Amino acid sequence: MSEPEIDPQVIDALSKLVLLRYGRYLNEDQLAEVRTGVEAIAKVSEELRAVKLENGDEPFFVFKPYRGDS
Amino acid sequence: MQAIDVVFKPVRQLSELVKTGQTSPTELTEIFLDRLDRIGPDYNAVVTVTRERALEQAHRAEQRGDAGQSQGMLYGIPYGGKDLLATTGIPTTWGAAPFRNRIFDYDATVVTKLEKAGALLCAKLAMVELAGGMGYRQPNASFTGPGRSPWDRETWTGGSSSGSGAAVAAGLVPFAIGSETWGSILSPANNCGLAGLRPTYGRVSRHGAMALSWTLDKLGPLCLTADDCGIVLEAIAGQDPNDPTTTDQVFRYDESDISKKTFRLAILKGTLNDVDEDVRANMQAALDILRNFASIDEVEFPDLPYEAVTRTILSAESASAFEEFMDEGGPAGLTAPEDRHPYARSAISAQDYIKALRIRTKVAMIADDLMAPFDAIIAPSRATPATRIDMDFRGVILGSAKDTMGAVGNSAGLPAISVPNGFSNGGLPTGIQFMGKAYDENKVIAVARAYQLRTDWHLQHPEAVIPYSIPP
Repeated sequence: MSEPEIDPQVIDALSKLVLLRYGRYLNEDQLAEVRTGVEAIAKVSEELRAVKLENGDEPFFVFKPYRGDS
Repeated sequence: MQAIDVVFKPVRQLSELVKTGQTSPTELTEIFLDRLDRIGPDYNAVVTVTRERALEQAHRAEQRGDAGQSQGMLYGIPYGGKDLLATTGIPTTWGAAPFRNRIFDYDATVVTKLEKAGALLCAKLAMVELAGGMGYRQPNASFTGPGRSPWDRETWTGGSSSGSGAAVAAGLVPFAIGSETWGSILSPANNCGLAGLRPTYGRVSRHGAMALSWTLDKLGPLCLTADDCGIVLEAIAGQDPNDPTTTDQVFRYDESDISKKTFRLAILKGTLNDVDEDVRANMQAALDILRNFASIDEVEFPDLPYEAVTRTILSAESASAFEEFMDEGGPAGLTAPEDRHPYARSAISAQDYIKALRIRTKVAMIADDLMAPFDAIIAPSRATPATRIDMDFRGVILGSAKDTMGAVGNSAGLPAISVPNGFSNGGLPTGIQFMGKAYDENKVIAVARAYQLRTDWHLQHPEAVIPYSIPP
């Protein structure tokens, strides 16, 4: 699979989201590394989105209602 | 007995020595505790030597008075546990400086099971901080320092079960427990020249083990032989009400004779294209040996983003597992500079995470279908031998080499075992992995045993740590 191109505006928006929550812990160098990380995540997301699934294609998780006395 | 009589003996042989009264649990424990104290620091292998607990367990075992005659194979056998397993009253650090003084008041299920089997906890073993979940890229990512390989102190043990690999390879314990989310058992098995078994997801309870990724984490053994992996897995496997993901399928190790057995194996097309030259040569030599007792077909996984699926699941779940730690700025206290800003993963959307989970269903079905005619798929355990202690290991993976086996195996929860298959020109071990269908641990162990029956790589040990006879 070839590496997808990511719109820089998507990287800007996602990076801003991360920085709003965690920016207070990051210096300039780390901010740049987080942006690189966000770009990598955006590429991975594009790879996932390129896979076409049917409505009935479910994840494997099974939720079991809980009762402590049973 | 002296160290030379017991160090680098597989569990099966040590058990015989204990059962026949040639040594005792206490004597064995003293020998390995001494090595943990003396040699452990050379390899940054140990966080805590659990001397008091080990000797008390050994004493109690001996007081039961039957010298292990009616006990299982692990009776009186020392071991070490990766320091992400909770242990009552002993620090459990997760390899991370911010947790170095944290003490739980209960034992992880694996620790309890091994105690019931008569095994003796001698050490909490070093690991990459938070099992590598913050995105480390080089070995110096633990408050105990980089894991140094007993084969060459200037090379890496692999991780994140770095101490589990180093301790077994240096003869500090006969076996160790590690964990794998993606590569953390097979990588140290490869770099340290050991047998490492990643069990099927849900085979071994994760209760009391640090959570990195709830749907990917597995616990498994690192041992001297594939046979030992089977012995240890039988002791730690089983359903646990404290871990609802554990399976009710019982695991009984099949110890039957495999010397005349034949197997059907498969190798992924192109799997040797982008690997290190020595890794390729050792794999080709291994294939020649395997062809004496196995057919080997070439197979190919359909084009899907396997690594993207596993990466997304791991990153999203770890962001949640460590949400409070991240919100409090905890990563700033970690050792590796690249681990101090793991925040990008919070940009993964719920929609993408669930998409990865939905594709995982397809991956699991594709893998099961593709593997149906075979006992195991084989591949080099890693694309390179151990990298140097000061190198970015992600940067040296050659060209476009992809870890499809690791991505598929971990996202689909499939068992795999790595055993040594030779050495690089630089004298570093390389490994071959056998990956099986879900719950087929006995098959992958059997193939690995058959391979080890015809090779002696597992009988070679690092010169620097081989004990010598001490004159009386």
